[in-house]
Amino acid sequence: MQRSRYLPWFLVTVSLAMLVVVAFNAAADRIILNTPNGPSVETVPGFERVLKPAWLETVQPDLVFVGSSRVRDGFDPVLVDPAFGVRSFNYGVSSITAYEARRFAQDAAAHASVKTIVLALDAFAGDAPGPTVGDGFDETRLAVGADGAATPRRALWLFTTRYLSGGALGMHALGAYLLAQLKPHQTAADRPDLFEAYARMTAASMARDLRYRHDRAFHMLPPQREQFDAILQAVCDRDLRLIAFFPPDRAEIQAVYEATDGAGLAAFKRDVAADAQRHNAACRGKVAVVDFLQRSPLTTEPLTNGASGSYVDLVHVRPPAGLRLVRAMLNPAQALGSLGRVLVSGR
Amino acid sequence: MPFNSYPYIAFIVVVVIGFRLIEIGRGRGRRLFLLAASYVFYAWWRADFLLLLIGSTAVNYGLGGAIVRRVAAGRSGRGLVTAGLIFNLGLIGIFKYAGLFAGTADDLFGLTLPIPHLFLPLAISFFTFEQISYLVDAGAGKAPRYSLLDYALFVGYFPHLIAGPIVRHNDLIPQFRRGRAPWERGEDISLGITLFSMGLAKKALIADNLAPYADRIFSAAQQGTHLGLGDAWLGTLFFGFQIYFDFSAYTDMALGSSCLFGIRLPFNFNSPYKAVSAIEFWRRWHISLSTFLRDYLYFSLGGNRLGKTRRYLNLMATMLLGGLWHGANWTFMIWGGLHGFYLVVNHAYRDWAARAGWKTPARYARAAHAGSVLLTFMAVTLAWVVFRARDLVAAASVFGGLVGQGRSHIVTVSPLALAALAALFALVWFAPNSMEMTWKYRPALPPGTDTGLGDPGRLAWRPTPAQAVAYGVLSIAAVLALSNLSPFIYFQF
Repeated sequence: MQRSRYLPWFLVTVSLAMLVVVAFNAAADRIILNTPNGPSVETVPGFERVLKPAWLETVQPDLVFVGSSRVRDGFDPVLVDPAFGVRSFNYGVSSITAYEARRFAQDAAAHASVKTIVLALDAFAGDAPGPTVGDGFDETRLAVGADGAATPRRALWLFTTRYLSGGALGMHALGAYLLAQLKPHQTAADRPDLFEAYARMTAASMARDLRYRHDRAFHMLPPQREQFDAILQAVCDRDLRLIAFFPPDRAEIQAVYEATDGAGLAAFKRDVAADAQRHNAACRGKVAVVDFLQRSPLTTEPLTNGASGSYVDLVHVRPPAGLRLVRAMLNPAQALGSLGRVLVSGR
Repeated sequence: MPFNSYPYIAFIVVVVIGFRLIEIGRGRGRRLFLLAASYVFYAWWRADFLLLLIGSTAVNYGLGGAIVRRVAAGRSGRGLVTAGLIFNLGLIGIFKYAGLFAGTADDLFGLTLPIPHLFLPLAISFFTFEQISYLVDAGAGKAPRYSLLDYALFVGYFPHLIAGPIVRHNDLIPQFRRGRAPWERGEDISLGITLFSMGLAKKALIADNLAPYADRIFSAAQQGTHLGLGDAWLGTLFFGFQIYFDFSAYTDMALGSSCLFGIRLPFNFNSPYKAVSAIEFWRRWHISLSTFLRDYLYFSLGGNRLGKTRRYLNLMATMLLGGLWHGANWTFMIWGGLHGFYLVVNHAYRDWAARAGWKTPARYARAAHAGSVLLTFMAVTLAWVVFRARDLVAAASVFGGLVGQGRSHIVTVSPLALAALAALFALVWFAPNSMEMTWKYRPALPPGTDTGLGDPGRLAWRPTPAQAVAYGVLSIAAVLALSNLSPFIYFQF
């Protein structure tokens, strides 16, 4: 009878498809998290908002980078971990909003393993009212709610995110594909054609980027400041270090920020420093603020043979430059030099 | 527990297996099992409000029983019906509207009334309306006294509990007691999973992908951005399609879930954007709500029996209250008022055309039909702006954008966006709906309205292996798109 065969066919189709999806996701997840080059996938754009909360849970890092694509591109755990003897995690996502930055920082702070959070402050640079969260963001995956209470049934959400979501399937497929392209002894640094974080800015791409960002401002509006202050509040009683930094955008784009709203930029730095100092006076967990958003040997570095050694474009630094920034932030007395200045020491 | 979530999918599998095992074994205890499952379903969201649901059920059951006894004894049950109305409307008033009314009084008269910020219990608007219909019917001698189990299951039955369709006791309770033949059980499950898959796909693959764009644009309007022409039109159209597919999806999933237990819910959604008039729109959109409002509010106000002016006033009042039912915000009432205005104009035009003997010439019939569909679509879509906007300032920003007043460029009117719009128009105007595709197997109770169902042609659902594989693949694609928990729009009502 036709009718009676419908159900078995339907169930077999669904079961087989699910099995294939789960098996693929589990295998790809394992490869990405367990092979030496695997963490470089954290620098790749894709479905970061979907999968990174689940990865964070598995990695249980000491050091977490939170921020926008500036962070995602700039800090490769494959470089950072051996250099500092830590286990780091790149929690950078494209076009992060202030609210997301707060929630990801809260998520990181809720993990006992995390000792240091490095937070890029461009997440709080609001130019115009925009969406509160980006596509794919979902609070149920984070360890705590906005109020700090543990997220109910989180293990279930993380399981389904990791093994049964299209976002995970996409990110896993992309990650596995990229890693499979690397020949033995190659790293992400050897394949800037695949790992764009390692690509180099050229004069042409810089000019194009400058046209694209010709009217950018870099100031903090009150709603964004509220989110920054909420992060400070979240780490107040935690024994961890928060290092907030103004990213080293190229001098050319800094000039645009100055021209568009120089007073707003100055106020942004002043407000962040004031909030951090107030926080340090009252809280156990200390906050440092480092300013790389100034003219420095890095932000004015000339192109060599038509390409930049440190930048992908005007605002995204390459992971080797990111390593310099980490060194400067973790050990400013020895490594900061003229790269930036400490606005709040956090000691 | 939203239908479009992994826990619900796991929950429904377990409940269907349990229900079928009980059915095969002794044929008893099915209702008790369904009631327990329904309460678990509700408590998953917030266990404490389960007490409110149970309390409301108990009070209404007691009142209903007393009314039935009085009416059977030849006495009037009006006093008890009134008491029931006060209880139910009081409950919904406290939880849903107290903040709105207190806040408005404060604003208008400079009072300093305390504004309560109560958590809105899920589904309160739905289970309150359903129980009111029972009390009113009992008062009119049209409802028997049911067992407590049957009544509690009628109120709490999980496939319709959260966002409808609004069911009537005499449609649902007899089905709880009716057994299904073994061959019917197989058909129920096949039909149920198919409808559920269709709904899940509409929600996860269409509605949820439109939502971010509509949200972004309306959020900008809310924050004071003067929307540009492209932003305003894309935001308006995307939201119009989002709510269409969102509610259509919810309805399919509710009906599909219920089919799994051999129980049919009311027909609730019939391609509303194919409507040629505002009158027809309300015979196709949220049919169970519009028939409830017609039967229990519009008719109670006198309907069309008291002359034309009174009829129009009744229509307006019904739609204003129907709008406010959707949420504690004056924008919903204005949305209802707009639809009331459309209905009044529509009825007045019909009356005039009938009196004048005006009829569209046959050769222009197709063009007139297309024009009417387009006009109705535009009127409905413009009304959605007020429905979606948080306040009138945001709505004004969108309306201003629609006529080119602003300059924002939040989204790009790209070829992809235009292609998506073309595909969406094709789907809502030319594709058969899920009811038409499955109607041969009666997935719902017959519609109480006179809008017919079209012929789905080759897209008719048949329980063949090829279609099983196709719907299996569709459902997996939809499950994979469930990356985020995205509630149905109607869940907030």
